Amino acid sequence: MQATQVDAPFDDADYFFEPWWPGVRAFALAERGRLRLQADGLADATATFPEMGELLGQLGEDGVVLDGTLLVLDDDGRPDGGLLRARLGGDATAGRPAYVASDLLWAGGEPVTRRTFRVRRRWLEALLATGDRVTVGHGYVGDGTLVAEALATLGIDGLSARQLSARYRGGPAGAAWLRAPIIPAEPRARPTLALILRLPLAD
Amino acid sequence: MARSMWRGAIQFGLVTIPVKLYLATESGGIGFNMLHKEDLSRIQMKIYCPVDDEVISRSDTVRGYEWSKGKYVVITDEDLESVPLKTVRSIEIEAFVPTDEAEEKGARFVKQAYYLEPDEIGRKAFYLLKSVLAETGKTAICKIVLKDREQLAALNPFDKTMLLQTLHWPDEIRSLEELNLPEEEIEIKPAERKMAEQLIASMGEEFDPGQERDEYREALMQVIEAKIAGEKPVPAKQSEPTKIGDLMAALEASVAAARETRRTGAAKAEKAAKPKPARAKAASTSTRKRKAEDEEAPAARRRKTA
Repeated sequence: MQATQVDAPFDDADYFFEPWWPGVRAFALAERGRLRLQADGLADATATFPEMGELLGQLGEDGVVLDGTLLVLDDDGRPDGGLLRARLGGDATAGRPAYVASDLLWAGGEPVTRRTFRVRRRWLEALLATGDRVTVGHGYVGDGTLVAEALATLGIDGLSARQLSARYRGGPAGAAWLRAPIIPAEPRARPTLALILRLPLAD
Repeated sequence: MARSMWRGAIQFGLVTIPVKLYLATESGGIGFNMLHKEDLSRIQMKIYCPVDDEVISRSDTVRGYEWSKGKYVVITDEDLESVPLKTVRSIEIEAFVPTDEAEEKGARFVKQAYYLEPDEIGRKAFYLLKSVLAETGKTAICKIVLKDREQLAALNPFDKTMLLQTLHWPDEIRSLEELNLPEEEIEIKPAERKMAEQLIASMGEEFDPGQERDEYREALMQVIEAKIAGEKPVPAKQSEPTKIGDLMAALEASVAAARETRRTGAAKAEKAAKPKPARAKAASTSTRKRKAEDEEAPAARRRKTA
């Protein structure tokens, strides 16, 4: 499924809005206790991101395929483009990798792509427990423009919108998955994030 | 550490025992991938329609149920979603039956065996159930939802834990009528019986599964290992844990802040709810723009090169 580019963020009750996490699109395949990562432009993502073995322990079932994003975070837990490039360039020690899962393609050894995203997302949440490096991405139904405003303060430049009533499509996603650009509001985006991180929210 | 493939609870009467399930077996086969002979790249399967003689995409397929030879009824997503989904995570004990009777009546047709691991709070009840089952020679017949499907299962004491075996539903077990078996009893002479008994006695020993090996698999693995010629990948160093949760917390906080700003800030600020941008419109504007640029560009370039 490839997202369709649209002009601007929007509100729609049939859409689920998430950050367009700055990382590499990656499928995670778990079968018979083994994990394989398949990422855009990487011959062997499993070797590039060895830490992702953690994913297996967080899955409640076997025979699972996840669609998500591989990120590389800096020491403060922020996605870092430079560290990501270093990692992709072969430095398997650069930064702290993490995987944010957004969609579920297979579960329990069977394809679930014909289910609606609403159902797949619910199953994904039930199936993947949050770990140190792995999580189901948080998102919001309906309020696309609100999420976009929030993301602008985080310095994230894209909004992902998945249609709740759509099934998973191979190839171009049409209306099932949209990507809208976000113009970062102010240059002081990063300090805002650092400030938020210091709030006792994580605990 | 093994991974549990299911978390839930054993239920009977008012008793709930939280447990995890682990696959008790694994398939020992050696897996191969299909490659293109020329460049050893992984091949791709395409979906082909022989009637139209063309490769079609997965989205051009529907689900059909063959109700009579060559006749199909199409089952849509809506049809599937109208089937009530069982999502209860429990092993519901329906009855306790004598173990030998259960075996006779179909508990031998096992689909898959799972080990159970009781959660710490459920240990006492778990082992109480186990010891009573063992002492009374009973099997618990239960129902469990696995992979969205309700399955019949038998629960039995096993070593230090219990074994849950999913069974075939009665209508999945084939009748013996399909086989060519003699109607009448076969006549056996006492001498023949004696001989057979002696032969069996001479080969009698204790069953030790550890002695049995898949010799074909071992031989095949030797061939493969010889080909790999000792190149082992070096395990990479692991970095510090990331705490991806912090990033999600930051997202939650910023969305909450944005929501607050909207509520308190200009109360009459126009709602930013713009209609969903039509893609067709977006495309046409950008094409128009591109055309306009094309018309201007050549002139500019000529001027530069001159």
